[in-house]
Amino acid sequence: MDASPDKTTPAKTKAAGKPIWPKIPADFVRAMLAGHSALGLAFAALIYLVCFSGSVAVFTQEFGRWEQPQGPVLHAVSPQAVDAAVQATLTKITKPHDLLVRLPTPDHPRLTVHGDDADGGEHTYVADQAGRLVGEARTPWTEFQAELHTVLHLPRAWGGFVVGLTGVALLSSLISGVLSHPRVFKDAFAFRWGGSKRLQEADLHNRVSVWGLPFHLAVSLTGAFLGLTTIIVGVLALATFKGDTAKAYALFRGPTVADDPRPAAKIINVGAALDAIAARYPDARPTYLYVEHPGERGQHAIINVATEGRLSRGETVVVDGEGRILGEVGYESGSLGFRVLSAMTPLHFGWFGGWPVKIAYFLLGLGLTAVTASGVAIWLARRRDKGRPAPRWERLWVAFAWSQPLAYAFSALVSLLSSTPAPVVVWGLATLAACASAAFGTPAGVSKALRQITAGLLALVCVAHGVLQASAMADPIGWGIDAALLATALLLTLTTLPKRSPS
Amino acid sequence: MSAFWALALAPLPLAGAVLLKRAWDGPGPQRPWLILGGWSLLILAIAASVPLMGPVRGPSAILAVGSTAVLVFVAAGVERRNARKKAVRELAPEPSDRRRVAWRGWLRGFLAGPLAGVAALGCGLAVAICAPGQIQSRMVIGGLIVPFLWAGGMAWTLSDDKILRAFAVLAGVATLTLGAAFLKGAL
Repeated sequence: MDASPDKTTPAKTKAAGKPIWPKIPADFVRAMLAGHSALGLAFAALIYLVCFSGSVAVFTQEFGRWEQPQGPVLHAVSPQAVDAAVQATLTKITKPHDLLVRLPTPDHPRLTVHGDDADGGEHTYVADQAGRLVGEARTPWTEFQAELHTVLHLPRAWGGFVVGLTGVALLSSLISGVLSHPRVFKDAFAFRWGGSKRLQEADLHNRVSVWGLPFHLAVSLTGAFLGLTTIIVGVLALATFKGDTAKAYALFRGPTVADDPRPAAKIINVGAALDAIAARYPDARPTYLYVEHPGERGQHAIINVATEGRLSRGETVVVDGEGRILGEVGYESGSLGFRVLSAMTPLHFGWFGGWPVKIAYFLLGLGLTAVTASGVAIWLARRRDKGRPAPRWERLWVAFAWSQPLAYAFSALVSLLSSTPAPVVVWGLATLAACASAAFGTPAGVSKALRQITAGLLALVCVAHGVLQASAMADPIGWGIDAALLATALLLTLTTLPKRSPS
Repeated sequence: MSAFWALALAPLPLAGAVLLKRAWDGPGPQRPWLILGGWSLLILAIAASVPLMGPVRGPSAILAVGSTAVLVFVAAGVERRNARKKAVRELAPEPSDRRRVAWRGWLRGFLAGPLAGVAALGCGLAVAICAPGQIQSRMVIGGLIVPFLWAGGMAWTLSDDKILRAFAVLAGVATLTLGAAFLKGAL
């Protein structure tokens, strides 16, 4: 946060009375600001990218439905239909290591079965109400954006570490930002626009930072934890299990079924397993399940059940090949550690309170993205005020900040139109091209041009999706997202129109 | 149902922010009552969410939805500044001006990154291995304090001008905690 108060309205600021926050020594504030600036600048681009991609990732399920709007839209299915879908998948993928079955939920009203074939190719089949496979899901852009946020498209261990480290840097910036902002309450409602660029950015930076603080703390801490899990568990295993991380993870796996690759007399009946779950957990709803080693004697199912009113990914129950419940992991009934672990992902992504929480997370995430952008803008404006402007960096930062909406929109458009899309390549090239625009014009000009192009691309995405899917849009979320994209395009266009200056 | 309650309770933090804004706008005999009323409404929204949405889910949802509603309220009260009118003397604190010495920069980076990370990992590991309680709880809580302590160490080392002091403290913490964890060596 920047500690810049606005002095253009001294009477009003003075009228607010003495701050109730204890007075912090000026030297301490200055030292904290120096640390805050150094850290913010070092990680600005990464924090910006992770925050922007995270805001979009809140709607991962919705984007998956938007890319595959033909459905079938299901609100509930019978256990027998789930079993039929699994058996049908096993005729297409004959010896999978495991199958992931996603059951219909309010966020994801589909029945899908995912597995790897013998050649390592991944397939996700979509089933209808009776469990008949009606097609293969194709959601390349949704997968692209989710992976960009979680691992930046790097190898999983490295990507997770970089994202986790970015979360730590963000958390550190929050701590130093709060400590270097002694007027946190006094300026809580001061939001002024226009005039000095630095003061305008400081107001935006500080207001969004202060009022969004609970959200910022929650997402940075949970994000850092989720990203650093691999390294934390690795060191723990080194200290306690001679480096065997599997033993550390096994503490969170619940009952185990011995691996036995000999052929089973019959393939596991998933319907019977779900019936057993319904009888044991009448108030919970199965959300997804893994069928492990189907067709082998060691086959079993790991079923996730969610209970209304809990901030949790759900309880995990293990069922053997005969349909007997072996036990649960304890994510909802176990110790504090299990319950905290189970809350991490929904708390990080906003997947726990229906669409109002998702929209709030999306807006607060964009707010945090704006805070990051304004932090660098404040530093650049401060340099300019001191007579040491950095015009190249000013143009480059503006270009980078607006490159992401543009690259996201362009990659979505190519994904819609291409039969073999590579969204990450398109996103990378679009980001580079947008950043290259920093070579031309002023920061304001670059910003305006990139916003106009983004608005145009978003409108094109909406039109292309509508035209391609209009005849098969069974899921209303398809139209909903198209409308939201069009509204965003209009809003962006409005920001590029000439403004009336205040008289 | 969660969506309904999240929306139904959103006016409470919004009303709390309105009262706090009125208190902020200027001094007056009502000011303490406005502050008390504002904070009471914010707390009431969180408290009411517990029976309606769950003990953890309710407050989490209200903090997210309430923060958004208040930010919209603050943004709605945006005040236009005259671009041509020059701001009076800038009194904002400036970051402390440090001498630019390359080795100090590299050392500071090493302290804030790897060393603070190792010290934080050591603390987390010590909690996971040496603290009392159930194994999984120790592991998760130990894991959760790693990013928090790393972030705190980062903020401290990047702002403290006495970097050798920071180096000594972080190295000491890392040695002690990792030593204790590896010496015990079992969960």
